[in-house]
Amino acid sequence: MSILQEIKNAVRSRSIHVAYVDVGSCNGCDIEVLACLAPRYDIEQYGIYVHNNPREADVLLVIGSVTPQWVDKLRDIWEKIPEPKAAVAIGNCPISGCVYARRGTLTTPPVENYIPIAAQVPGCPPRPTEILSAILSVAPLIYKDYEEKHR
Amino acid sequence: MRSIVYYLREFFRPEWVRKFFFAKTAPLVAPSYFKDYPSLTGKECTQCLTCMMICPAPGAIAVLHKKGGWEPEIYPGHCIRCGLCVEACPEGVLSSGRILDVTSRDRTAFSSWYRLQVDDTLCMRCGNCCVSCPVNREVDPQLAGTGTSASDEVIMRIEGGRVTILHEEKCTGCKTCENNCPNRAIRVARMVEGIQGEEEAEA
Repeated sequence: MSILQEIKNAVRSRSIHVAYVDVGSCNGCDIEVLACLAPRYDIEQYGIYVHNNPREADVLLVIGSVTPQWVDKLRDIWEKIPEPKAAVAIGNCPISGCVYARRGTLTTPPVENYIPIAAQVPGCPPRPTEILSAILSVAPLIYKDYEEKHR
Repeated sequence: MRSIVYYLREFFRPEWVRKFFFAKTAPLVAPSYFKDYPSLTGKECTQCLTCMMICPAPGAIAVLHKKGGWEPEIYPGHCIRCGLCVEACPEGVLSSGRILDVTSRDRTAFSSWYRLQVDDTLCMRCGNCCVSCPVNREVDPQLAGTGTSASDEVIMRIEGGRVTILHEEKCTGCKTCENNCPNRAIRVARMVEGIQGEEEAEA
């Protein structure tokens, strides 16, 4: 492995840029993501930065069971994110639909049907520490030795 | 000049460098009272299905037959960690956080019963519910056809051309009447009430 790649790995492990998108949830998981930004959990001390701009994001946090209005927009957002990229499903809604998965509902979970999901964080809502550790553990799987793997 | 030197020296203190480059807050662990996904305590499950009936999230819990007998299983992608199954279980099969400690200290429990309701605008007085009910059939084997009965011990019977519910408390919640009703006039609802401080609290 070249020295340049090692430097890239070291820098990338402390520079993870995150965008989050709510595709129709109760906002409980949004609040838990925002709690990660608060001083108690302080997501930025781990080198994770929330910009909410897909053009500069590495990790997309998907929250909520998918409503019909979001189906095409979610794909657009996913395509706007430059490679390498990963999507993390936050909460039960993108995994199973949770309490929205009932007869006659308009939502169409799971979110895996629309974009590839790298990691799932179950919980209704998950703890901020669970969200944090999920981002921290999924990032090296995708960004470590990216140039070596995709030469 | 000296002040500038002191100022710059501050940035070479190992403690400062470590604080600047690495995580500052201690690793955060879940507190002991956190209600995590329910885990098994090892007590024997009697397959009463109280946990499945009280669960508000669809598909979150299922009581499965494993090698050693019945056993509830929690599905993390569906469970909302409300802890109602832990509280409702009469055997204490599941545990989560300190729910079991709190319920035993406060002596709280759930009591449940079944409520029968007949919508008179939909009911066409066929008597199917009274005839199909397995409890009715046991109490009064003569009960047939029109759904009238001479016995006062049946759950329900046709009286004066309409369904009268006599003994709601005998209902076992099997919903046979609901399935046999031609126009969904009869409804069986499970009612749950939180109770505190009673000696014989059944869930």
